[in-house]
Amino acid sequence: MKVSLKWLKKYVDVNVPIEELASRLTLAGLEVESVENLGQKYEKFLVAEVLEVKSHPNADKLAVCSVNTGKETLSIVCGAPNVAPGQKVPIALVGATVPRDQHDPEGRPFTLGKALIRGVESSGMICSEFELGLGSDAQGIMVLDQDAPIGMPLARYLGLDDVVLEIAVTPNRPDCLSHIGIAREVAALFGLKVKKPAIRLTESSGRTVAWASVEILDLENCPRYSARVIHDVRVEPSPKWLQDQLRAVGVRAVNNVVDITNFVLLELGHPLHAFDYDRLEGKRIVVRKAKEGEHFVTLDGRGRSLTSETLMICDAVRPVAIAGVMGGANTEISDSTRNILIESAYFSPRSIRRTSKRLGVSTDASQRFERGADPNITIAALNRCAQLVQEVCGGVVLKGVIDIYPNKILPKKVSLRFSRVNEILGTAISPKKVSTILTSLELSPMKVAPSKSPKRVLIQVPTFRPDIEREIDLIEEVARIYGYENIETKMGTALKFASQPVPESLGDRCREMLIARGYRELVTNSLQKKSVASLSGQEVVEVQNPTSEDMAALRTSLIPGMLEVIRHNIYHGTEDLRLFEIGNIFRCAKAGERGRYFPGYLEQEVLGLAVTGRATPPGWEGKSREIDIYDLKGDIEVLLGKIFLDKIKSIYYSTTNTLTELSVAIEINGSCVGFFGKISSSLRKLFDIERDVLAAELSLDVLRSVPRRKITFESLPKYPPVSRDLAFVVDERTPVGEVEKAIRDSGGDLLKGIQLFDLYKGDQIPAGKKSCAFSLEFISLQRTLTDEEIDKTTRRIVEHVKRALGAELRG
Amino acid sequence: MLDEIEQLKQQILSDIERLSDPHELENFRIRYLARKGRIAQLFDRLKEVSPSERPTVGKALNELRALSQVKYDEKKRSIEAQKSETEVALDLTLPGRRGWVGSKHPVTQTWEQIRGVFVGMGFNIATGPEIEDDYHNFEAVNFPPDHPARDMQDTFFITDKILLRTHTTPVQIRVMESQQPPIRVIIPGRCYRNEAVSARAFCVFHQVEGLFVDVGVTFAELKGTLVAFARQIFGSDIGVRFRASYFPFTEPSAEMDISCTICGGKGCRVCKFLGWTEILGAGMVDPNLYRNVGYDEEKYTGYAFGMGIERIAQLLYGVDDIRLYFENDVRFLSQF
Repeated sequence: MKVSLKWLKKYVDVNVPIEELASRLTLAGLEVESVENLGQKYEKFLVAEVLEVKSHPNADKLAVCSVNTGKETLSIVCGAPNVAPGQKVPIALVGATVPRDQHDPEGRPFTLGKALIRGVESSGMICSEFELGLGSDAQGIMVLDQDAPIGMPLARYLGLDDVVLEIAVTPNRPDCLSHIGIAREVAALFGLKVKKPAIRLTESSGRTVAWASVEILDLENCPRYSARVIHDVRVEPSPKWLQDQLRAVGVRAVNNVVDITNFVLLELGHPLHAFDYDRLEGKRIVVRKAKEGEHFVTLDGRGRSLTSETLMICDAVRPVAIAGVMGGANTEISDSTRNILIESAYFSPRSIRRTSKRLGVSTDASQRFERGADPNITIAALNRCAQLVQEVCGGVVLKGVIDIYPNKILPKKVSLRFSRVNEILGTAISPKKVSTILTSLELSPMKVAPSKSPKRVLIQVPTFRPDIEREIDLIEEVARIYGYENIETKMGTALKFASQPVPESLGDRCREMLIARGYRELVTNSLQKKSVASLSGQEVVEVQNPTSEDMAALRTSLIPGMLEVIRHNIYHGTEDLRLFEIGNIFRCAKAGERGRYFPGYLEQEVLGLAVTGRATPPGWEGKSREIDIYDLKGDIEVLLGKIFLDKIKSIYYSTTNTLTELSVAIEINGSCVGFFGKISSSLRKLFDIERDVLAAELSLDVLRSVPRRKITFESLPKYPPVSRDLAFVVDERTPVGEVEKAIRDSGGDLLKGIQLFDLYKGDQIPAGKKSCAFSLEFISLQRTLTDEEIDKTTRRIVEHVKRALGAELRG
Repeated sequence: MLDEIEQLKQQILSDIERLSDPHELENFRIRYLARKGRIAQLFDRLKEVSPSERPTVGKALNELRALSQVKYDEKKRSIEAQKSETEVALDLTLPGRRGWVGSKHPVTQTWEQIRGVFVGMGFNIATGPEIEDDYHNFEAVNFPPDHPARDMQDTFFITDKILLRTHTTPVQIRVMESQQPPIRVIIPGRCYRNEAVSARAFCVFHQVEGLFVDVGVTFAELKGTLVAFARQIFGSDIGVRFRASYFPFTEPSAEMDISCTICGGKGCRVCKFLGWTEILGAGMVDPNLYRNVGYDEEKYTGYAFGMGIERIAQLLYGVDDIRLYFENDVRFLSQF
């Protein structure tokens, strides 16, 4: 909402520096987003007279004009077709900042310098409406009225020596979408009085009801409809004061009748509509729902298809306006209009909002109705409008108003306990102060039986404040005007610490481990193309109304998003990447499944890992090898070990999924936790990645459900460990894990550690065989072990491994 | 005998001066100080000395042995020092073996900072789903159907009644539905807004919500908590102000501004020359929320607040384009 300071001052006599006004309004909830001083904006612009127009010696389309500024005569080169001697024109002097450049596609401002245009010097510029930022006309220069005083600063002449505040009005405050509304707030904040415009109206003897009638067929959505008829109106451009007033707040002048309805809207906040009376069939207004599929052309010339829910203003035979949203082309005010009917109605917010949403049209009128207009201002607005039409357009106002308002909407009465104000705010505001604040906002305390120490007060809430319905709403009003800055800043009055210890977060643990192992954390978009979300083979959850196809579905896996990040970074020169992300993935439930929150959708938190490039950073000792699946497996083992303190058994087996080839499932205590593997080459191709990528995805939800061992300290062994190395030659197809298991099975209590330290295939052993060398560690908690004991255990292990796997001990 | 000792002493002192490498040093040790060296030989002959002279001679011998040992140790140290000076092999400019370096995403770092402050004040942590229903996201937090306030949050819908949450506020309802006051939680989470993507807006972002409901909670305490929060995150010199505002789920509602972290409040492009920059929304929990979860709205009062994590990170680190957080360029990530 743009507020003109000059306009505002007509209703409230506020005389504080503009910064203070802006700051007080902002703190009270009317956020001033910008303050524009129009006088400064047009600092080097003047009214001037064109004395002479000569053709340019070197260009057909240009003219060289002599222009009188009152102080001097300037020579200005001008390209406008409409420039002529004797015109009063707006000119920019050298050094002025022209608001819009009509040769720039974005219309950015520029600073005017002295210029040679095709060999002729030009010391200024005659401006168009567009260049001044006052309108869209860029075809020719703006021509001012003949009586415009030569040499007067343009801003003063156009009434633009004004300051405009851009105020962000929150949706709960429709009453502040007008100058009177803002004036009311200013008055309350500065302890001033609002001066409402005096309405003086001369009615003729002809009676309105004899000339028109109104019928409301949908009282629920149109509780009130008031109208007046005015005869013999001259439709023409508005007088300068009206144009200036509208221009200051960025509204374009159309014609005097339309400009007056806009003026009243911006003054009082109530939307009005003027119909060409002679084009209303049957001289009747009927408020009813549209027929399903009915076609209607609005003022903006666009055809619109209506539904049976759309509330319409009709005449005897056809619709003439979409109620509260926009008028129709069929009854629009034109130059030939003689008689007008002015509508001042109140529509239900819900109905207008639905229509506005459905049609995708938001107008000054619909914005006010859907937030809640004042049902009890219709007559005042109508009379204000009629008064101005009479003054400006010379009309004859018929006697009386038509006012269909069968079920009056009365001001609400809300009770307020003075004690509650302080209970909520933590303040000690006196009942007297509370009453003063509320009265200043026209929230008047009703007369109650006098009492020395009143406990409560009954407030009558005017109908222009639909946001105030409850005690708490009144408390907010008190707080706003009292000033949030005046409420004490307290702390710890009720400080209680968490009832249970904050549990250690599994995500934090994983993050800490992975970052220590050189992984970088990612945060990627969970909205993707449907084709990308489908890569995992899961049932995709789709968005009904995506902004674009690229964000039409929710991710079913973190891996595709991570591949996108890998692609991006390879494009930008980083090829060695170790990445992880913790985030939610989503899918539709399969038969027999139920989501935790909603039966149809499964949402779970997962950890994704993706690695590519070299295993170690490039160094000076030679080439680093390519990262492979055992690197990733190692990281996962360390991670799980750190989470589960090595005590929980994880089982790995090969599995298949659509994202990876060579993939391995991870199972802990019987629950599948996730998988890791090598990204399939077709998927890599899709993301334009040449090098191998290894990836994993683990469900944090499942990991959380696995019972975790509490950390309890074990005393350190007092006796030294003894180690022995054993190398077994086995069939090359025998998994190392089986050899390890055979060792463990036969090692007894003393065997505490097994570490594979060499894996060999080659000349020194028979073909089809491999050698696995293990370092075994023995510890006893009770005593120092003897060589004999160890030898005995080792022999037992060797015998068992030989027998179980047909292994040979390598000499 | 004493002459011999004196002679040996002179010889030792002159020999030791000439030593220059570990090999010569070792020869010296064997010749004089070893178990069968020259000094030991003199000790062996001590029994030949008359008993009256023996103490004097013994003392001289002991002194010689001590002196020789001291000289030897000194020489040994100086030769070893020379040795490491001459052995230049270590090039201190050669890069160390560093290994890969990991990094924590700035959104996580910022969340952890925020969490640290509130956990320290006694807040627990609660979470809820990103796929929400209209009831929890809107209706229960006081956005009636067809209410203009719904325009404040452009929504991605999955179906007519299921959507991607536009804020973490629905978790307030989920927490209050499942437990009785006192409640003191912060709620982190990912939210979605159906807005055109730009440097200032992204379809996905992260919020932290706070909720405190108990007997006797006041607006004054809300101010106290949030001022303490701002000072812990941005430093105790930061200016803080509260402005009246509107959110359907709080009444009275407020927005909190801090003095611009770039210009310190003098006015610059980042704060649009206002000197203040908005960091969070807050207010007293609207009684309608209590009604929706079956709390006694007379007995309990409470406050709630919510902030965007990316926004706080922007102010902490100066990141000027929200899209960078989601692009994950390593050149960006490695700065944090």
